[in-house]
Amino acid sequence: MRPHWKMFLSSLGAMHADRMAERWESARRLLRQNGVTYNVYGDPQGIERPWPLDLVPLLIPHEEWRQIEEGVGQRAKLLNAFLADLYGPQTLVRSGRLPASLIYADPGFRRACHGVPVPANQYLHFYAVDLVRDSDGSWWVLGDRTNTPSGAGYALENRAVLSQVVSETYRYCQVERLAPFFNAFRDALLALAPGRGQPRVVLLTPGPYTETYFEHAYLARHLGFTLVEGEDLTVRDRRVFLKTLSGLEPVDIILRRLVDDFCDPLELRADSSLGVAGLLQAVRAGSVVVVNALGSGLMESMSFKSFLPSLCRHLLGEELKLPSVASWWCGQDAELAHVLDNLDRLVIKGANREVVLDPIFGENLSAARKEQLKQAVRQRPWDYVGQERIVLSTAPVWQGSGLQAHHVVLRVYAAAVGGGRYQVMPGGLTRVAPEPGRLVVSMHSGGGSKDTWVLAPQRHQDLFSVKQAAGQDLRAAAEARAIELRGELRGTAGDLPSRVADGLFWLGRYAERADGAVRLLRGSATRLFDGSVPGASDELDPLLRLLVWHGLIPADLGTRETSVRELLPALAAAIFDPDHPNSVRANVQRLYRAAHSVRDRLSRDMWRVITQLDRESHGPAGPCEGAAMLQPLDELVTSFAALFGLEQESMMRGPGWRFLTMGRRLERATQVVSMMRGLRVADAVRPVDGNQATSLSAALEVLLELAESFMTYRERYFATVQKAPVLQLLLVDAENPRALAFQLTILRDQLAELSENSRRSATIHNPTATAVAIVSDAREALTHPDLVRNGALLRTTLDHLAANLPEVSNLLAHAFFSHAFARSA
Amino acid sequence: MRYRARHSTRYDYGEDVPVSHHLLHLAPRSHSLQRCRRLQLTVAPVPAVRTDHCDYFGNPVSYVVVQEPHRLLEVTSEIEIEVRPPPRFRPEMTQSWDRLRHLARSLAGPNEASAIGQFVFDSTLVRGSRDLLEYAAPSFPRGRPIGLALLDLNTRINKDFAFDPTATTVSTPLDQVLAKRRGVCQDFAHLTIGCLRSLGLPARYVSGYLRTLPPPGRPRLVGADASHAWVAAWVGGDGDGWVDLCPTNGRLVDADFITLAWGRDYDDVSPVRGVILGGGARQRLAVSVDVEVIDD
Repeated sequence: MRPHWKMFLSSLGAMHADRMAERWESARRLLRQNGVTYNVYGDPQGIERPWPLDLVPLLIPHEEWRQIEEGVGQRAKLLNAFLADLYGPQTLVRSGRLPASLIYADPGFRRACHGVPVPANQYLHFYAVDLVRDSDGSWWVLGDRTNTPSGAGYALENRAVLSQVVSETYRYCQVERLAPFFNAFRDALLALAPGRGQPRVVLLTPGPYTETYFEHAYLARHLGFTLVEGEDLTVRDRRVFLKTLSGLEPVDIILRRLVDDFCDPLELRADSSLGVAGLLQAVRAGSVVVVNALGSGLMESMSFKSFLPSLCRHLLGEELKLPSVASWWCGQDAELAHVLDNLDRLVIKGANREVVLDPIFGENLSAARKEQLKQAVRQRPWDYVGQERIVLSTAPVWQGSGLQAHHVVLRVYAAAVGGGRYQVMPGGLTRVAPEPGRLVVSMHSGGGSKDTWVLAPQRHQDLFSVKQAAGQDLRAAAEARAIELRGELRGTAGDLPSRVADGLFWLGRYAERADGAVRLLRGSATRLFDGSVPGASDELDPLLRLLVWHGLIPADLGTRETSVRELLPALAAAIFDPDHPNSVRANVQRLYRAAHSVRDRLSRDMWRVITQLDRESHGPAGPCEGAAMLQPLDELVTSFAALFGLEQESMMRGPGWRFLTMGRRLERATQVVSMMRGLRVADAVRPVDGNQATSLSAALEVLLELAESFMTYRERYFATVQKAPVLQLLLVDAENPRALAFQLTILRDQLAELSENSRRSATIHNPTATAVAIVSDAREALTHPDLVRNGALLRTTLDHLAANLPEVSNLLAHAFFSHAFARSA
Repeated sequence: MRYRARHSTRYDYGEDVPVSHHLLHLAPRSHSLQRCRRLQLTVAPVPAVRTDHCDYFGNPVSYVVVQEPHRLLEVTSEIEIEVRPPPRFRPEMTQSWDRLRHLARSLAGPNEASAIGQFVFDSTLVRGSRDLLEYAAPSFPRGRPIGLALLDLNTRINKDFAFDPTATTVSTPLDQVLAKRRGVCQDFAHLTIGCLRSLGLPARYVSGYLRTLPPPGRPRLVGADASHAWVAAWVGGDGDGWVDLCPTNGRLVDADFITLAWGRDYDDVSPVRGVILGGGARQRLAVSVDVEVIDD
């Protein structure tokens, strides 16, 4: 065993399965709470996998790391010089040093980007390289990531989690910190826009359904950049702008996680709906810097690898420090012959990213398959590369009861920090093959990940004093906290894109809608399944009517005669069935999606509650017992309350909060009106006979309960439940946070504020002003002295509100969210 | 031959569009056989931005942006251009196509490599395939001079395929054109290019115009009232090494043809390419091309 492993294991203590399982569980909990996920299918339903993290980090001793660091830095420099030539003078091709077919056979060579000026010839700002270690312990390059390198955010998150879960060991091992690397990268990006006081940097993501969206949101937050999608940006006068609530704001730097081909439907892929039309023109005009430069993805092609050693001598005057695994590009005759003759020893791979081909291990093929492969290669030789197989080393992975040896691939990151220099992140993302012996390592195929610990230079164990230990302690805590805090503090940076306002507005609406359904279902379920509730049967009637009215259960179940046996599955569906359009589950899913799209705007705690809601609404695996329904409903009520509390207590009262709140209040107002209408309180003017009296008072009690106003009512009126005071409390009372008047007041004030702000962009037709007028009128109508006594007036007022409130939503959409979408003409 | 040509593209977006970006390949490139004497490009409404640059293939490109709400957009180019007939093509004197294929693979050195070699490989709209190879094969027996093989392929495509503007759209894939045996000039150009590339031979897509009225006593050319497209195939040898063929009309290109731009396929050089923000569901597009002879 190598000494650094000995040190690691000794500090970890005896690896009792129990103790490890406990740690593993807390790691999983942290990851889940932080919402670390990886979208495997990019499915709109949001099939997210929890991020798999192994408890045992990959350890790299200091001296070994120095070599990697030098090699990666050199390689980044080399690839950048290579790009600068191919997208510039093309001397390498003209001089015959490279075959012209190398670039022309490669779809990654973006002709539209050729000759586009790139400041300081800095193409590659953020670079990742996949490394493997052979059985002798030497590191080899397996592949390069130069388009939109992913994983650095996951590495950061892995560190945040592992440094907590095995904190003593982490401290003991003196691990190099990651935070300074990200700071340097951020500072370097900001420096790209010289002379612009506060440059605006945006992180361009393809959107929430991308596999690494979590990371986009996480990095945007960590670096303090605004997370945007293509439709948030627009090009005017050859300059890129961010569409915000207060108008167009210029963008200076775009850190893109969108692959280059999709970035501009005008000059790159015409069918891309994710990009920004005219972006390349803005780059040509020098008004924006795109990171990495458009076209940089070319360096990911396997076909380039075999040219690097000679190019390194030619371009940098140095020997290549980190060797690539030997490869042969079949686009040249001699190389083609070599590959065909040595198929058994080689792995066949696609020459570039557009050749869809899983690595083929020649020795595993039958004679017939081999012949087939040869034919395919001869047909389009430029599409193939043969790569030598190397014997990979393994790393220990914790597997429930002990350690197992798996193959690993280490991804290391480098960032351009100005003056053509690169800084290498001391650590990286280690990916683990899913099982021992498996050679292909990727997150797609179900592999796991590890934190990567670069160990400090020299460790004198005997000199390790208590004082130092304390210092280390602080340092470790500081690292974890710096990673955490960064996000919280910078979450509000930048202006609010219209799309985000839209997302927050709907987050508010769905949360309130789902919460309303939960309360209604809980009221019903309690009376059905909990025998101890007094007056249960009378109140069940209005509750069932409301369930039907809100489309939660079928209309024929809405009578008192319905048996519990019939109701049970209908109620279960109204809670848990994702395909039921009005169910709690369906609304939580919508809420989740809305939240997902604005994730970088939500605090960690809010996100934690939202993932909790997602879990709680999942429903039991088997058939649902009546009483078993009550527990998840109670939990959901609590979680919704927690979400609401966090909104109130932990969000800045900025424009984001304003939209969230308007969504909530509008939805709650709509629900109050809807329930009043559903129970026809306006029609039952006065109790005529005893029966109707019972049913009216039951309806009123239900309304009080759903509006959490029962206690207030009792306190205030000491009386039996009567219609006028109940309506007074639920409709008119501006001090009851559940009353209609309360919602409308907030809505009116927030809208008025918005209208004030949007006056700057003076248009003749101002939808916000119209919305203010609608809400003010509604608020005004509630002040009529006869409202709660005059049935006809009440009915008209409620009908009027039911018709007009939805219009407020439409007007807001028209004023703020209707981002014109781009399309081909 | 001197021509005056007018090419107008008119969009009706159905409702107001706040911004439209367009990339125009409407200025004819000059080359050894043609020289543009006058060019006037008009965009209505007046664009807020207009810049010109050259694309990777050396074609002039204009970028125009209209930034005020507009429902209609009209792009008009008016040119005066001089076209000389190409030198006489002697197909039997060309090299054998298989030798040329070998040459195309090993091209090196300045300019030549990029000007020729890149047209061997797949592009956005034209991918080589086994089916295309099979279709092309009868015209390309081993050792046949490339010129003869090309003329044969050009004639076969002209005969085998029907000109039918209703059969395809811009996005109809090549294998469907091959299966249906119908299409328009663009499809036939892509088809020919696909055949040549499947054989490992360089071929490029040429966009341009035809004279509207034929010389006295000759039939009117197909595709004369719209923008046209044909193929340039590399034949090596002297001259600039390329010969232009029009499979739509089954003939060699001469002074009746005006070149606008060339690239790997339509996607590289479409005359008007645009992205608009917003716009209605019912867009309408009207294109007209008129080419008159000023003097012979």
